[in-house]
Amino acid sequence: MPPEPQSAPPIPHVEFKAAVLLALTLALIAGFLGYVMYARGVFESKQRLVLIADDSEGAKVGMDMTFSGFPIGRVQRIELAEDGKARILIDVPQKDARWLRTSTVFTMERGLVGDVRIRAYTGVLDDPPLPDGATRPVLRGDASAEIPRLVATTRALLENLERMTGASSSLSESLANVQTFTERMKGRYGALAGVLGSEDNAKKVITAIDRTNALLASVGEVSQKLDRILAKTDERVFGATGVMDETQQTIAQLNVLLRDARESLKKVDAVLAEAQAIGANTRAATVDLAALRAEVEASLRKVAHLVDEINRKWPFARDTELKLP
Amino acid sequence: MRQASSLHRDIFRAPGEVGTAFLGWGASWWRVFHFGALALVMALSPATYDKENRAVTAKQIYFTAWQVLPWFTVLAALLSMVLIRIVVVSAQSYGLSQYALQMVVRVLVLELIPLSAALFVALRSGAAINTEVTLMHIRGDFDAMQRAGVDPLRRELVPRVIGSAVSVVALTAVSGVIALLLAYLGVYGFSPWGLPGYTRTIGHVFDLQVSMGLALKTLLFGLAVAVIPITSSLEMPREVRLAPVAVLRGMVRLFLVLVVIEGASLAVKYV
Repeated sequence: MPPEPQSAPPIPHVEFKAAVLLALTLALIAGFLGYVMYARGVFESKQRLVLIADDSEGAKVGMDMTFSGFPIGRVQRIELAEDGKARILIDVPQKDARWLRTSTVFTMERGLVGDVRIRAYTGVLDDPPLPDGATRPVLRGDASAEIPRLVATTRALLENLERMTGASSSLSESLANVQTFTERMKGRYGALAGVLGSEDNAKKVITAIDRTNALLASVGEVSQKLDRILAKTDERVFGATGVMDETQQTIAQLNVLLRDARESLKKVDAVLAEAQAIGANTRAATVDLAALRAEVEASLRKVAHLVDEINRKWPFARDTELKLP
Repeated sequence: MRQASSLHRDIFRAPGEVGTAFLGWGASWWRVFHFGALALVMALSPATYDKENRAVTAKQIYFTAWQVLPWFTVLAALLSMVLIRIVVVSAQSYGLSQYALQMVVRVLVLELIPLSAALFVALRSGAAINTEVTLMHIRGDFDAMQRAGVDPLRRELVPRVIGSAVSVVALTAVSGVIALLLAYLGVYGFSPWGLPGYTRTIGHVFDLQVSMGLALKTLLFGLAVAVIPITSSLEMPREVRLAPVAVLRGMVRLFLVLVVIEGASLAVKYV
């Protein structure tokens, strides 16, 4: 149906319809542009974060940096620094910057499928916030880089396994030995023959065990005797007329003795008190004693004189000496 | 013997013919670019839109865009729904559902919808323009216009180019927005909580280069859909028996150009 503008009947409001269509198209395009700009964070204030990596392979401009799985930043530029390291410049919107702290760790990982991912881990959310323009190192983890190493290790493992399971391998020899062992175990002396290597040895062991049994029986008797001795000792020591009992009686007597001694001491104490009183009297008496003594001495001298007189006249005794009290 | 001499003659004639054909081919493409540039300049200059021209342009927009918009939108929505469903389900089965939305947006909105809008307009209006202009050219309408003091380029041809371009852009915009909505529904369902992630993905996909590439591609599609058939019609000798050849050549060339533009856009983006 070719459009025939010249011959077609006049279309109502054709210019209005064309204007509506144009307006609709322009509105859609403008709206979409605005939405894309909003989605790309054109209207947000941002702060800059610089990550330093040894290798920026896989990192792309426009990729996200995630925190707990939520994208919080976008790579703006990747450049090679003077020291040969890669500088990854990331814009983080101000509202998401609060998840980044001074202690935040940044990692760049490559999964087996999909892009490299830059992640931020913040352990302590109370640390001071990351300043604008901060430079941080990024740790790299590459799952696909691990694959060659993994394959090499697996191959070595398989080779070891093959060597282990081979006909002349130590494992198969061990298994043969185990078989010999179990065969011996099936013999007359069972597991003992298996462990000791031959039936002779097993026999010796069994004899030894028998003798040990006998020994144990005699030891049992000895211990019974010992029991009896112990019972007697118990009786003697702790019984009704045992040593302990007598000792107890002795102690009781000793107690009585001590009580008597205490009484005696009390009496001595009284005697001493009396002696003290006597002493006091004696001191008073001593004053008179001097006079008395003088009189006594005079009397004595007279007596001595008298005795001497008597002795001279009557020799009754040779001892003429007189003693004073 | 006669065959041999004919072959001999052909061999000697061939280089000359190839050279002539190449020159003709180059000249033809030059006319396409020249007319395209001329139409673009005229479409952008306000002097083009006097009362008569405005009416003709409005009519062209009505025929090429307004009439097809509902049908094309419904068709594109259906196609988008099917594609979104396929991509989402297969991405889920591979455990890659986080890439489903990005893939849907890249495949549908950036590539398939502009191309199918251009193809649709080419099939419906491009072929019509091609035939109509060929017939007008053969009938000598343009000469008559020029004799009457009317510029046929300004009066008849540029409005058709504008109509086609507006049609392709409008169809792409409307269907693209609907496809974006359907993609949201296909991936997140009727939940508003996917919006931050969705916005993020859209922001990811539509960076500056991709957005400008999409705009440029759509515009080139719109221009090509009218410019190539018109040039192809005008360069034919004025003989009625050659009219089908003009239409055929114009449509083939148009198809080729659409594929080349799409291929170039893909190459720039992904190679």
